[in-house]
Amino acid sequence: MIKQESVDNAKIVGSPIVHNVCLFLLLFAFWMALTGSLKTKFIVYGLITAATTVWLCYPLLLVPNRDGSKKYFVFGVSIFKFISYSVWLMWQLVLANIDVLKATTSQNLDIDPKVVRFYFKVDNPMAYVVLANSITLTPGTVTLNVDDDGLFEIHALTVGAAEGVLDGSFQKKVADLYGEDYEFAVVEEEE
Amino acid sequence: MICDFTIREILATLFILGGSVFFVGSAIGMLRLPDFYTRIHASGNSETLGCMLSFIGLIIYEGFTITALKMAMVFIVVFLANPIGSHILSKAAYKSGHRVLTAKDLVGEEDEDANIHH
Repeated sequence: MIKQESVDNAKIVGSPIVHNVCLFLLLFAFWMALTGSLKTKFIVYGLITAATTVWLCYPLLLVPNRDGSKKYFVFGVSIFKFISYSVWLMWQLVLANIDVLKATTSQNLDIDPKVVRFYFKVDNPMAYVVLANSITLTPGTVTLNVDDDGLFEIHALTVGAAEGVLDGSFQKKVADLYGEDYEFAVVEEEE
Repeated sequence: MICDFTIREILATLFILGGSVFFVGSAIGMLRLPDFYTRIHASGNSETLGCMLSFIGLIIYEGFTITALKMAMVFIVVFLANPIGSHILSKAAYKSGHRVLTAKDLVGEEDEDANIHH
């Protein structure tokens, strides 16, 4: 259990000013896209709303790591790395989706449902979120549970989907996205 | 007039049709797959590519305007929210001890069916 005091004293990774400015620009761009008008009134409203939201929400968007020594900003990720990761993920989605479609519409239902487990450890808690979410988003695999030790339990529908999760490419991409070292180990099934 | 389409409309139609194929595949999976966890795959996951293609089709049809940008935002929200829903459902089932059907059980079921029919 992380103590509240140690979380308050935790060192923020990266510069808070840069974080605030990035969040402000993101929210302001979102506002402008939604209003779709360049009248002065809307721009001023947008600036005020974005600034207030940043002021209120910035402390909530800092997540502590496991031992409570550091705090990570939720959106603290390089935008170019994020885009390249998204493109890679989209391509994986297309491949996996075709695989699942083939399996479910084949004559004799070509599936092999089972639970696969692996350990994945990094310092940044957002990496767990992104990995679990990406695995669930990919057809044929659903994250059932992630525990505090970094044990991922994945339900895989087809043979190909299980292999895709266990070969470590996903884990490598996510660790690269956050620029961190990672530990990865597959838990062998007990028969 | 049958030929009275622009290339943009034809392209959009093709994308939306492609998306529909995946939605239909999702529905077929929902009916054919045997247990709760496998059906989660069909309901939650096959929608991702279906949604992606449909939204690309709609964005092409709309042209690159502010409305297209808003549709892209809806698409991103679907992408963020869809896995969360699937995960919460499957996690609730897993934590409450719902049994995971494996390939062995499936073979058993098929044998039983065969015995009944013959």
